[in-house]
Amino acid sequence: MNIGESNSDARSWRKAYGLALSIFAMEVVLLYLFTVRFS
Amino acid sequence: MNRLDYLVLIATILAIPLYGLWRTRGSASLKQYLKGDASIQWATIGLSVLATQAGPITFLSMPGQAYESGIGFIQNYFGQPLALIVVCAVFVPIYQRLKVYTAYQYLGKRFDRKTQLLGAFLFLVQRGIAAGITIYAPAIVLSALVGWRLDLTIWLAGGLVIIYTVVGGTKIVSITQRYQMIVILVGMAIAFAVAVYRLSPDLSFEHTLSVAGKMGKLEAVDFSVDPHKRYTFWSGLIGGFFLALSYFGADQSQVQRYLAGGSLKESRLGLLFNAAVKVPLQFFILLLGAIVFMFYQFEKPPVYFNQPAYQRAMQNGYAPQLAALQTQFDDVFMQKRAAIRAISSASSADSSNERDAAMTTLRELETRARELRDRTKEVLQQAGVGPKSKESDYVFITFILQQMPHGLVGLLIAVILCATMSATAATLNALGSTTAIDFYRPLIRPNASDHHYVVAAKALTAAWGLIAIGVASFASLVENLIEAGNILGSVFYGSILGLFLAAFFIRRVTGSAVFFAAVLAQSLVFVLFATTNIGYLWYNFIGCAAVLVLATLLQQTIFRGTEAHAAA
Repeated sequence: MNIGESNSDARSWRKAYGLALSIFAMEVVLLYLFTVRFS
Repeated sequence: MNRLDYLVLIATILAIPLYGLWRTRGSASLKQYLKGDASIQWATIGLSVLATQAGPITFLSMPGQAYESGIGFIQNYFGQPLALIVVCAVFVPIYQRLKVYTAYQYLGKRFDRKTQLLGAFLFLVQRGIAAGITIYAPAIVLSALVGWRLDLTIWLAGGLVIIYTVVGGTKIVSITQRYQMIVILVGMAIAFAVAVYRLSPDLSFEHTLSVAGKMGKLEAVDFSVDPHKRYTFWSGLIGGFFLALSYFGADQSQVQRYLAGGSLKESRLGLLFNAAVKVPLQFFILLLGAIVFMFYQFEKPPVYFNQPAYQRAMQNGYAPQLAALQTQFDDVFMQKRAAIRAISSASSADSSNERDAAMTTLRELETRARELRDRTKEVLQQAGVGPKSKESDYVFITFILQQMPHGLVGLLIAVILCATMSATAATLNALGSTTAIDFYRPLIRPNASDHHYVVAAKALTAAWGLIAIGVASFASLVENLIEAGNILGSVFYGSILGLFLAAFFIRRVTGSAVFFAAVLAQSLVFVLFATTNIGYLWYNFIGCAAVLVLATLLQQTIFRGTEAHAAA
């Protein structure tokens, strides 16, 4: 946790990072399926 | 280009800077000039970060890259979402808390003056050259194909940017980038739609993608572990992570964009927006290149897309050789078209044997077409008109000029110039700020007024603009434009990132150890670059790892016992 950041703020940001990671993982999976489908 | 195109082009590229100048009228304090103000929100930061990274090379070269080698380049961006999350969690809170103007001020606070100056110096060298490439890259292609004078194109793109960046500072850069990026996204979406619409009706869109895939253009993900392959999942994830971490965490041209809002929340949201949209955006730009490739399977392409160079070789007495190659190329094109139609018929009839046979023929013909293009390039070199940039850089702009309706041609040329202006503005803003804050203020005039430093930052921004135009005027590229920028970044970014990671994560290391470690690591990367042919993304990892290992070793040997002094 950073100075000036409350526990609830830190938790919210961790959720936001988790969401960003999930979106990226989904993008890679879709690209892989696209590769398999069209190669 | 006709009058309508010029009208759209001029209106687009002038309206945005004029609006920016109106929004930033009046005098600014040093803080406002270098960091903008609280009115800049996350959407503007997000688009500004996106525009700074994109640049003209993305829109000019990337479709050509996909046309030539397929969409595998997308993997270079796989490390970026992870890196952006680390920047949000580690870098941004520290920069915001310490209220620094430049990333290198943090190195000065954590270590010492010489380490701050080393980080700033590596940034200035790398970005000073890159700014020249950013201006030169579109200018050489536009001047060749549209017929504009090269020097005037460079001054048109560079001169306008210098004026508004010097006057408005960080705030005008953020505001103009927001609208320039909107123009870019709309323009590219329309180009994508038109390219799909112009595809041959002989094949459905799905069949078109299938044929493109069979011709090796749609391999987006490759899990190969061969280090000599330039684009793989692993090199993109690991090398791309270090490249992106250094670029977003330690390159002032980006740091200045996300510190512009003044609040931790706005900075983080702007960066997370980039983490989510970057990979899909790059995918669609690359897919556009693959679609243009399929378009030219039915519409006869020139044997060589850089037609001005081709015409000069014809005039230099090489017309017979080039005409013979063109005839062979036209013949191969007709056979390829017949093979694709055979694939379509076989697919409709569900005849896999016929489809496979036609596919094998098509691949052989594609290899033959490639050989003919290579031989044409050799003839051009013999004729003394060897092109200054890769042929693939001319593919997309040729498609725009020859296949798009009027008005849209002007808009898409404006897209390329908007991308040039937005990336150059961010770079000049950062170069001027870094020189003023990291060199001028501490070394030349330590105790001057706020106003004096604003004037100094403006003068230094203008000076860097003139240097960038100078580099652009004398530049002569040897490889693909997109590659030149990324290779240059990768050579320097590893060492710069190593300085910052040592500062964040190795508590006991001192300034002298990390300074000499960075000098040695940078020398190592130069040697590897000159003597090996490993994929360039790995330089980011090697440079960074070398700084961290050498700093630890130097601290425990030569600089042992200096920790207490440093802490005091």
